Amino acid sequence: MTQPMSTQTIPMPVADSASHYATGYPGSGQRLTPASFLAMLPGVALLFGIGILGKFLQNGAGYLDAHYGIHIPRIEYVLWAILLGLLISNTVGVARIFRSGVATYELWLKLGIVLVGARFLLQDVLHIGGLSLALVAVELVLSLSVMTMLGRIFRLSPKLTSLLAIGSSICGVTAIMAARGAIDSDDEDTATAIAAILSLGAIALFTFPAIGHALHMSQQGYGVWAGLAVDNTAESVVTGALYGQDAGRWTVLAKTARSSFIGFVVLAYAVYWASRGQAERVTNKPLFLWQKFPKFILGFLAISVFATLGGFSIAQHPHIAPLIRLGFTRPQTAALTSFSNWAFLPAFAGVGLRTNVRDLVGQGWRPLAVGILGEIFIAALTLALVFWSYNHGVAR
Amino acid sequence: MAPLNSNRSVPPSGHRLPASVDYVAIAIGLVLAALVRFGVLHQIRF
Repeated sequence: MTQPMSTQTIPMPVADSASHYATGYPGSGQRLTPASFLAMLPGVALLFGIGILGKFLQNGAGYLDAHYGIHIPRIEYVLWAILLGLLISNTVGVARIFRSGVATYELWLKLGIVLVGARFLLQDVLHIGGLSLALVAVELVLSLSVMTMLGRIFRLSPKLTSLLAIGSSICGVTAIMAARGAIDSDDEDTATAIAAILSLGAIALFTFPAIGHALHMSQQGYGVWAGLAVDNTAESVVTGALYGQDAGRWTVLAKTARSSFIGFVVLAYAVYWASRGQAERVTNKPLFLWQKFPKFILGFLAISVFATLGGFSIAQHPHIAPLIRLGFTRPQTAALTSFSNWAFLPAFAGVGLRTNVRDLVGQGWRPLAVGILGEIFIAALTLALVFWSYNHGVAR
Repeated sequence: MAPLNSNRSVPPSGHRLPASVDYVAIAIGLVLAALVRFGVLHQIRF
């Protein structure tokens, strides 16, 4: 028997269900009004406050070391932000006044991803993104099969198994929420699947960087691995950033490639469950795919196009001179990168703040066991794929 | 069952942003990029 999540864990699909379905409005009850906007400000301030405090603690350690010879372990601001968020969430809790603002961490995360497009030339996107797509295709087939098998072994309900398979093979909570309506799963299964995926994401935050260092992985190799193996977008980006800024941006690229599969996998499951009479039939498949597609990827690509244009020489390509003039110069790319870092800062804090350990472990051991075994398989598989790609010159 | 092409898949949670958050992120990103491109905004040291 699973227990409902507390109001601290975001999202919380168990509580408060029927009333919001009735409206059919996405995120009902949160229509942006001046009052709801103002209500977000304390939480947004908390997110930025924790992130900036993380930066301060990182720099403070360096200052003490440099000026006073006091050696304090130099912990990256990313980890500080998460630890501070975890500390608050799991001790005093996130007060009601902050909650709607803390939920905006998702907006900051996506804004950071859109802006980090400035750090990628389109040829990098096509090469590593294309490689990631190929690796994701392999990962998808194997991980979906393994998760389905594990679900049967541990006697999970078929729909919970589907949700866990979708969540662990593509992009975590987003994929589960996208699949939820499509396969008509119940709230309890959805909550359990989300809790399992978030638990595994929290574990990845601390294990992946250690494994990466132990294997002396390159920034790019590690980044691609984190993007392919860690499920939830937020945890994935953080896991990459914990290894280094360069790793973080490669993680974003691999993760966005992986997320682009979401519509196809959810559609396949929807068709499967509809064929068994346990879900609504999909009438308009192209529209379905578009609705499930993570649109922020388009923003990431658009910014990347302008960054690429800035690298062209007008003298060599006079026929596209007006387009090249629209491209970013190096200082402009640096400015957008700094804005991207500022956007990620509150997102990192949000990952810690929305993680409540008691909620995550209270969802029963079997889904977690399936998740852990499946994730170990996915992590090992994607690690092997990444090593193979780099050792055979597929990646550069 | 709700029609599949509705927004049913959006969580009923009171603390999750609507799906349109993607569009908001894109819009803010593009506006920031335009401001940087046309020299209105400059790098804020991180």
